Amino acid sequence: MGAALPLAAGPPAVAPLAIDPLVSGRSVASADRAPLPSVLGGDLADVGTAPRLLALAALNEIRDLADGRPVDAGLLAEAARQFAEGTVGGETPGAYVTRVAHATGLTATAVRQAVHDLVTEIAELPATTAAELPPTGLGDGFATRWVPRGRVFAAVMASNHPTPNAAWVQALFHGYSVLIKPGSRDPFTALRLLRALLAAGLPPAKAAFLPCSRATGEFLLGAADRGIVYGGDQAVRKWQGRASVAVRGPGRTKAVLDADLDDAVLGHLARSASVDGGTRCTNLSAVLTTRPVAQVADRLAERLSALPSLPATDGNATLLVADRARGEQIRARLAELRTELTDHSARFEPGGTVVPLPDGSVLLRPVVLSADRADHPAVGTELPFPFVVVAPWSPADGIAPLRDSLVLNLLTDREELVDAALREPSVRKVTRGTVLPWTAVPGIPHDDNYTQFLLEPKGVVAAREPAARP
Amino acid sequence: MSDATDTAFDAHIRTLMAWHFQEETGSPFWLDKRAGLGFDPVTEVVSAADLTRFPDVSAELRTVPARALIPRALADLPFRVYDSGGTTGSPKRIVDSAARSRMLAWARERLLAVGVPAEGNWLHLAPSGPHVIGFDVARYAALGGGIFYTVDLDPRWVKRLLAEGRSDEADAYVQHLLDQAETILETQDVAVLNSTPPLLEAICARPRLHKLVRTQVRAIIWAGTSISAESLRQLNEVFFPDTAIIGIYGNSLMGVAPQRPAAPGDAYPCVFEPHPRTTRLQLVDEAGDLVPYGARGRVRLHLVAEEMFLPNVMERDSAVRIEPSAGGHVDGLADVQTFRALDDVRIIEGVY
Repeated sequence: MGAALPLAAGPPAVAPLAIDPLVSGRSVASADRAPLPSVLGGDLADVGTAPRLLALAALNEIRDLADGRPVDAGLLAEAARQFAEGTVGGETPGAYVTRVAHATGLTATAVRQAVHDLVTEIAELPATTAAELPPTGLGDGFATRWVPRGRVFAAVMASNHPTPNAAWVQALFHGYSVLIKPGSRDPFTALRLLRALLAAGLPPAKAAFLPCSRATGEFLLGAADRGIVYGGDQAVRKWQGRASVAVRGPGRTKAVLDADLDDAVLGHLARSASVDGGTRCTNLSAVLTTRPVAQVADRLAERLSALPSLPATDGNATLLVADRARGEQIRARLAELRTELTDHSARFEPGGTVVPLPDGSVLLRPVVLSADRADHPAVGTELPFPFVVVAPWSPADGIAPLRDSLVLNLLTDREELVDAALREPSVRKVTRGTVLPWTAVPGIPHDDNYTQFLLEPKGVVAAREPAARP
Repeated sequence: MSDATDTAFDAHIRTLMAWHFQEETGSPFWLDKRAGLGFDPVTEVVSAADLTRFPDVSAELRTVPARALIPRALADLPFRVYDSGGTTGSPKRIVDSAARSRMLAWARERLLAVGVPAEGNWLHLAPSGPHVIGFDVARYAALGGGIFYTVDLDPRWVKRLLAEGRSDEADAYVQHLLDQAETILETQDVAVLNSTPPLLEAICARPRLHKLVRTQVRAIIWAGTSISAESLRQLNEVFFPDTAIIGIYGNSLMGVAPQRPAAPGDAYPCVFEPHPRTTRLQLVDEAGDLVPYGARGRVRLHLVAEEMFLPNVMERDSAVRIEPSAGGHVDGLADVQTFRALDDVRIIEGVY
């Protein structure tokens, strides 16, 4: 492990941190290197990437020793505690938070919250399992046993948020051996979590951490028995409809605003769009409303414009920052969208959308646009910062404009619409009233029953005692 | 490389300027160009440094009738045409009668020097047909008295499948190729395997086929696409620890540049050197000047042979410039990659 990065803002003056694949507890120094840019400019880390052959060698090794045995929940809880509070592989919690913030542009506050949420999700795994599986004892010698559907699990992670790393911990919990392709901008979370697991006693042959290209990640997904892939449309398209892969693409979370826009509702919509800088797949990206569209869009833009422009490491920061090159890409994408939609944020955001900060990063200001019809193709556009398209909706439009929603927030009294939304296959979760989209307890599916994706039931029928036979 | 002291190559250039630009011997293609060059190639092109005065005519090889490329003095000889890869549109064409075979005799000696067995049979699991590599490998086998085995492989179909997002079909095609290779290796004695890095990766992913290659084949030659340093190390150290792994850089236009023997102090595991009699591969910056040794530049080809004259061709590859090996006059190339303009280096990511 290289020298710790300075915590103060500013490009690192020392040689960037070296990160390498970690296979069966061994660091495997790769000759293939890729720089990991910092939002402040310069490079944050020098990442050893796994080409396909290194990934194949790791897969062979992991599969040979995969035994399907679950990992104890106590071990996971201890690892989660270390992940959150310990010095892991020489990295303090503070250094970890700073690295993720400088690599992904998430605020330090959001990263700390993500650590908390990740620890909570890991602690809740037994409760989640219980809530997502039916009772197994069928009486009189009849039972079902839920066992892994395979031995090897591949996780292709994105970098928008650390919390989804719980997905591969859940696979470990249920007995899989795991191959992890970390997000290209956030290798830190998966590496720290795996190191914490190893320190807590995870058998080393249970896991491999493999920074790699998207193509190598696809190779791993295709070779594993089960897997999960996070990413944009292009990254996930190939895996849609494959039973062995859980697909976590853009969430396209929407709200139906069929109520007056009072201050509470306005605050609710603004928070839905902007928490964690708008990077969650569950952040609101479209509002369909029976109320005057321009008025709704103006008020939402005005409310979001109150969020401060601060560097990601400032404790009061909420908005995402990016490096300048990524900022330019987003500026170009917005310029396209503004040619076909009405901009409501411009007058509240005099500095524009992509705002240079003194530390070298750029900050992405919220953007609210409106469309003139519910089925406008831009409705459902998802960008990695607070970005909302407001469009008109009337009962005559029906459910069609509400499709393809990871979460659909219904601010309406129309019970028939609630029923239709729940029956719509491409709507994955429904919230009612001013409930934030990610609100859940164990047993509330994020997108289908993930426990049953990992596990399958097998029948176990035992002979009854001879005395009991008729 | 110091062009000024490479006197043999300069003399060769002067001889062939007369050959290619005299009415009795030159090709219609070059004779037609002579008046428009703005200089007299016969009197003014006297050394390698002068070759950059020529225009890069390689794009014209997509459309010119191949017969116009044949020097008049050789018009009675049998020629055939080979293509560049040709991902889209018309491929670049070259003509060959005997020149390539002469170069391949030299190339084979270079291959033997890095561990290819002098005898034994060859399996060519790579393109053939209009792609000259199939001819090359058949020639290596024949020169050593070995039998040449091969499998039909259409790389343009694979590229098209991948470009259209039909990766499942591309995978199925690769498995179809590997099935045939496995059949050959199960029943025939193969000492040398010639293939491409992606196919070698696919071989490694099939345990039975991997074992057949690992236990039977004494040398693996890779060519056709670049390979990363770590991939090369995995082949050498993990997947084929007892097999010689040898690279050839080349294409239809330039010929072949086999891997040279390792030398003390080499910073790269694989250094290519082209045919010194006819070919120079220069690594240049955006201004066209040679980059320093150890620096990366874009590949610029000069091919000066009796059958083909291709000066000043900018290739779509970049590589690190390596000093000539002891006693040599040609620069080496290491870590060949597809050329990208500097501002393309940062990988453009989508929303996530």
